[in-house]
Amino acid sequence: MRDAAPDMPLRRRLRQGRDRLATALITAGGIGVIAAVMAIGVFLAVEVLPLFWGGGPGGPEVDLETLWLPQSYPGLEAPAHRWQPTLPDSDPGPRFGMAPLAWGTLEAAAWSLLIAVPLALGAAAHSALFMSRRLRTRLKPTLELMEALPGVVIGFVAGLVLAPWLERQLALAATLVLLLPPGLLLAGGLRGALPGGLRRRLPLGWAALWLLPWVGLVAVLAAWLAPSLEAAWFGGDLRGWIETTLGLDYAGRNAVIVGMAMGFAVMPSIYALAEDALSGVPASLAEGAQALGATRWQTLWRVVLPAASPGVLSAVMIGAGRAVGETMIVLMASGNTALMTANPLDGLRSLAASIAIELPEAAPGGLHYRLLLLAALLLFVFTFLVNTLAEVVRSRLRRRYRRLGGAP
Amino acid sequence: MMAAMRRGWLIGLMLLLVAPGAAPALADHGVGTLDTVGSDTMAGLMLRWGERLGREHPGLRVQLQASGSASAPPALTAGTTLVGPMSRPMTEAERAAFVARYGYPPRDIVVARDALVVVAHRHNPLSALSRAELDAIFSESRRCGAPRGIRRWQALALARPSGRIALHGRNAVSGTHGLFRREALCGGSFRPEVNEHPGSAAVVAAVADDPRALGYAGLNHLTPGVKALALRDAEGRLRRPEPAAVRRGAYPLARDLHLYVNRPPDGDLPAAERAFLSLVLSAEGQAIVEELGFVSLPAEALAAQRRRLGLPSAGD
Repeated sequence: MRDAAPDMPLRRRLRQGRDRLATALITAGGIGVIAAVMAIGVFLAVEVLPLFWGGGPGGPEVDLETLWLPQSYPGLEAPAHRWQPTLPDSDPGPRFGMAPLAWGTLEAAAWSLLIAVPLALGAAAHSALFMSRRLRTRLKPTLELMEALPGVVIGFVAGLVLAPWLERQLALAATLVLLLPPGLLLAGGLRGALPGGLRRRLPLGWAALWLLPWVGLVAVLAAWLAPSLEAAWFGGDLRGWIETTLGLDYAGRNAVIVGMAMGFAVMPSIYALAEDALSGVPASLAEGAQALGATRWQTLWRVVLPAASPGVLSAVMIGAGRAVGETMIVLMASGNTALMTANPLDGLRSLAASIAIELPEAAPGGLHYRLLLLAALLLFVFTFLVNTLAEVVRSRLRRRYRRLGGAP
Repeated sequence: MMAAMRRGWLIGLMLLLVAPGAAPALADHGVGTLDTVGSDTMAGLMLRWGERLGREHPGLRVQLQASGSASAPPALTAGTTLVGPMSRPMTEAERAAFVARYGYPPRDIVVARDALVVVAHRHNPLSALSRAELDAIFSESRRCGAPRGIRRWQALALARPSGRIALHGRNAVSGTHGLFRREALCGGSFRPEVNEHPGSAAVVAAVADDPRALGYAGLNHLTPGVKALALRDAEGRLRRPEPAAVRRGAYPLARDLHLYVNRPPDGDLPAAERAFLSLVLSAEGQAIVEELGFVSLPAEALAAQRRRLGLPSAGD
């Protein structure tokens, strides 16, 4: 020790120097990332501005009205939204109604959230509060693996396997959706009615495994019931019944398929963030509630969930941001029909998919090109706002936990 | 769908066909590399022709950048390639840009024919459609003279299938989409309900899965899961998408596949280009066309083009 003493100042100085260098590099990296993000926004804005600035390629051809309101086009009976940018200039002329694209984007995101949020939040609440540690350590990597699946693979499976299957087995799928929730509730109730010995061998932490055979059972039941239900109620042809009686168009690649595929894609990130938020709630809160006689449900619903609500909200928002920007899943699972309809069984076309399909062929600097960049700018602004908001909400959550005296 | 994504994969991808060794046939001209830029529809053709050429003239290789027909004219004009494959004719603007640079037009060589087929599920009883019916099904402009649009199978007077016709086609920036719009819709506009797929193989796969679907795709993408419909012309005759009819020009939804070559009117072609064109316009080259599901040219058209290019006639 004594021998080394004279070296210390030098070593310390070296170490300090290294620290400073590392800090500088990290700061430079951070600033670089921020600058790159800002540069993307500025680039898009600069490319898009001439559209509305007069004299640009947009000129008199497009304005806010032609982009977003129904227009009357030759050959069409009524004013309509049309995105047909590649029709030749002379005849009948390109059509740039962007409303169906924005609508399709939001519709796809809404359906995917509708499917992903209940499942992801339910899974997060169960695994954060009730699940046994061993089961949870298996579940988390599985869900992370799900997140690592490339969008193009999910889209491929949804478009080429799920959509045709659902089209053929529409009645089975509908029966399954109807039977699963009551079937699983029943299974949960049956667990409560089990004799004591069996019940002890199946603690709450492992209850998820108890449900698995029931899911299979319900599926078998649905497969057995579906044909007779379809024959009895819908004349043996559910798709025909939807089209004639309900008057709804049925497209094989529709908003619900997109929602299922994209819901699958955004579920893991919603789950991970919500699980973090829920398990971060100081244990003292839940224990206090239960000590005062609250049931598990009351503890979850009245104490833990409200305490973690900003984190849960931000998890949902991150999911929404991803759903809006997701390209390949929508491109491959949706059919890319630029329709403006609330019918969930009809197709859609999203902004991101349109950019992916059309930008490589659009002449740089032309009207079509700039409109696609406008679409990109819209997506950029939307995801930027949603992600920023989610981050703000999350930092508020962290402050709240600190106030409650729990882990940060 | 994988084939559908081919376009994306191929963009910027160089297909290198290397054949090392001596080059006896071209010894006096040296060994060459033939750079080509253009159509992705023709990528398979160019690849196979290049392979064959490499086998006949070791040392000669064909390099292909298949990023779409639209990429060929700029590359020809810039002089980065002497041969540009295109699945459509050059537009006036593209030709004018070339002429402005070189003072002469590019040489247009038709190397094969391709056709679009209207496909239905293999169990669909429908066998033929008239152009007006086709237009009424796929378009909302009905320029070919149909009195009203056709949305449901019932309107085609068939017992089966019933319900709405599910429509499938290519995405709007593809040449297939443009050709179908011009020829089958009389230049009108598609219904917005037509599903836009990224490739012809995806269209065929979607139709093969749904008995209520109709679609259009390139002739070379037909599979056993679908059947190609005949087209009924104004006199009620059936035009089937058979190679002989496509070759004769009797089938209406057909197009020529072109090679555009930069060759001065008085000058001669470099040896590599010369060998390539000679192969393409030979019986061997046309056999490759057939193998890939395209339609080969009639012998007299081949001979005429060989004469115009100053190539020895096919027998030599």
